[in-house]
Amino acid sequence: MTSTVTAFAQVADFARPPIDWHAVAPELVMLSVGALMIIIDIVKLERAKPYAAALSGLGFLAPLVPIATLAIDGVASEPRVMFGGAYVIDGYSLVLKALFLIVGYLVVLLATNYVGEGDYWETEFYNLLSASVLGMMVMASARDLITIFVALELLSIPAYLLAAWRKRDLKSNEAGLKYYLMGVFASSIMLYGMSLVFGVTGSTLLTEIGATLDDGIGSEPAVTLGIIFVIVGFAFKVSGFPFHTWAPDTYEGAPTPVTAFLAVASKAAGFVALMNLVVIGFVEREEVYQPVIFFIAAGSMFAGNFMALRQDNIVRLMAYSGVAQAGFLLAPLVVVGEGPEVAATAVSSIVTYLVIYAAMNLGVFAVILAVARKTKSGEISSYGGLFDYAPALAVLMTLFLASLGGLPPLGGWYAKFGIFRSLLEPGTGWGYTLAVIAAVNTVIAFGYYGKIASRMWFDAVPDDDRTRIVVPAALATALVLCIAGTIVSGVYPGAVTHFTDVELLAFR
Amino acid sequence: MSAAAVLADIDWHVEQQVFFYLIATTQVVAAWRVVTTKNIVHAALYLVVVLAGVAAQFILLGAEFIASTQVLVYIGAVIVLFLFGIMLTQARIGAENDLDQPNRLPAVLTAGLLAILTVSTVIRTFEDVELPDNSRTTTASVSDSIFSDYIIAFEAVSVLLLAALIGAIVVARKD
Amino acid sequence: MELTTTWYLVLGAIIFAIGASGLMIRRNPLVMFMCVELMLNAVNLTFVAFGRELDDLGGQVSVFFVLVVAAAEVVIGLAIIVAIMRHRSGATADDLSVLRG
Repeated sequence: MTSTVTAFAQVADFARPPIDWHAVAPELVMLSVGALMIIIDIVKLERAKPYAAALSGLGFLAPLVPIATLAIDGVASEPRVMFGGAYVIDGYSLVLKALFLIVGYLVVLLATNYVGEGDYWETEFYNLLSASVLGMMVMASARDLITIFVALELLSIPAYLLAAWRKRDLKSNEAGLKYYLMGVFASSIMLYGMSLVFGVTGSTLLTEIGATLDDGIGSEPAVTLGIIFVIVGFAFKVSGFPFHTWAPDTYEGAPTPVTAFLAVASKAAGFVALMNLVVIGFVEREEVYQPVIFFIAAGSMFAGNFMALRQDNIVRLMAYSGVAQAGFLLAPLVVVGEGPEVAATAVSSIVTYLVIYAAMNLGVFAVILAVARKTKSGEISSYGGLFDYAPALAVLMTLFLASLGGLPPLGGWYAKFGIFRSLLEPGTGWGYTLAVIAAVNTVIAFGYYGKIASRMWFDAVPDDDRTRIVVPAALATALVLCIAGTIVSGVYPGAVTHFTDVELLAFR
Repeated sequence: MSAAAVLADIDWHVEQQVFFYLIATTQVVAAWRVVTTKNIVHAALYLVVVLAGVAAQFILLGAEFIASTQVLVYIGAVIVLFLFGIMLTQARIGAENDLDQPNRLPAVLTAGLLAILTVSTVIRTFEDVELPDNSRTTTASVSDSIFSDYIIAFEAVSVLLLAALIGAIVVARKD
Repeated sequence: MELTTTWYLVLGAIIFAIGASGLMIRRNPLVMFMCVELMLNAVNLTFVAFGRELDDLGGQVSVFFVLVVAAAEVVIGLAIIVAIMRHRSGATADDLSVLRG
């Protein structure tokens, strides 16, 4: 026995990796609650079902405690760096982790009644949701090609399954299949790009890739192709033009709470990965990523807005509106190469936008869910006369839509303002052109947001069915949280920027 | 002369080259057949040839651990899953005409452009890079790396497998 | 002809392009998955060739993770297809679509 042990010891003197347990505590808490849910489900079977949503909600809130202790510990000024820079816990990753957790919690609130009443597999639904959010939390800290890839798959694979969760509905199955096929295609393109980048720079660490590209090796054609492939792969993920075609179909077919999750959390995670890659890794290769991201951003804004004008189904409309918003979110990445200050402004404007976008977009989906409880329909015409019989929902929806459009003093206004500021700050042609395109598109977007609003306020009630809409407690809580976020972030933006004014720096 | 001495005398470069070209040609032909064959079972079997070829190339490159994982995971599990999938979905065993998109030309053109782009890029960037001689990594060093530097990715993959397991059972089961 | 790393990369690039073309030509979801597997294997070959070239373990470790993830992807892809097939047989990726982009 001892000889075997010594033999192994001779083969490899394995050194335990130094792990900063406090720094990874949010992920560990999330993982433990997820595991606990699975165990309770196995032991208690059907009796556990009523508590599934509550327990899962707790699972999303509990990791906020270690996040708070880390913030108090001064992580924002003294980041915790692990594995030579592969995993970094700094102010930027903390605020994003908190965002993903809160979005996860809100999605649980949206899903509680939908999943509970719809005869779906309930505990498993929340299990997959937590697995996906765990992937997003890893993504926020990942500074290494392999960790980014694994985090991306961990957040996507449960999402493919959740999109197909209404398995007796062919539409939902096909939503899952389409999302899945597009997703795996995109990840194989992205991986090929990563392999080329790895091959030229000789490292999977983003900081080292950034340093190598800075040395001038980066002008090789393989790096150019690699960067383009990686960006294209993530353009699928964030539903950027011309890779957005899966979004309307998947959003329409998937269960609505899952759609909200895909539209907010999954998309935000794609942007986080893009920020990590572009701002730390590829930043010196402006001439490659600038035109590519410019094309995707401008195309997304135009394609999303013009297609949204022609939609009759509100979920499809929100899908195209999400494509247009993705264009807005991508825009600041075009100018990050102009210098560290510009990059800092761009990153904090994107993070701010993600936070405010989460509040207002989840709000819209909460209203859609509430209205669909009565009308069982996603057609925009079914919103006719909503103000007559559900004035509160109509007012909330109008506020959310106005915020998405960018009307002051709601949150969306400040989010858009931040994007324009970061585009204009460097004073380059790329920035000015994109700012003009973004301004034009802000105006176009009012066309379809206004269309829904006018339906609700001025149209007649279809079938003259004026029965009241009963909003369940969970959904009402979500609505209150979302509207509070939307209004506070617009009236007093300092409350948001206090947290989102973060920098994305390279650590070794 | 002992066997070891005989082995040591052989210039392995020649064998490596011969086998590389043989396997590579087989792989490209088989990959092309995966894409063009009218029979879905044949497509799966041609895929086996490509995947086994990749495992063989890994051995030529001195990556023994990855080569055996490739055989176990891909040929042992993935292909079996594909065949299961073909049976479960009651696809006809035999030629099928509706496997393809009706309009192939744009796809073929795009793919041709992609091939020219990727191949020319790697040739232009790495045209005269020699294959280093004895940089053979051991399984132990690969596992050391996985369980130290990439431990977070490893844990994330474990959660991923669990989630895929739970989700796949729920979605695929009859109820 | 001297065997260089480039040959492995070219082989990877060719298989990658064949897989991508298959994904565009085919419309049976099972065969489309097979084409994705072709692309992933091309990526693996590229990673290992680079790993050998650079004498860096990162290449092989990447392949290990890609392998595991690919296996999980196939499992859930088949689960979704089986769910669809319960509704109707002979599904193709876009033909049976209730959903149209």
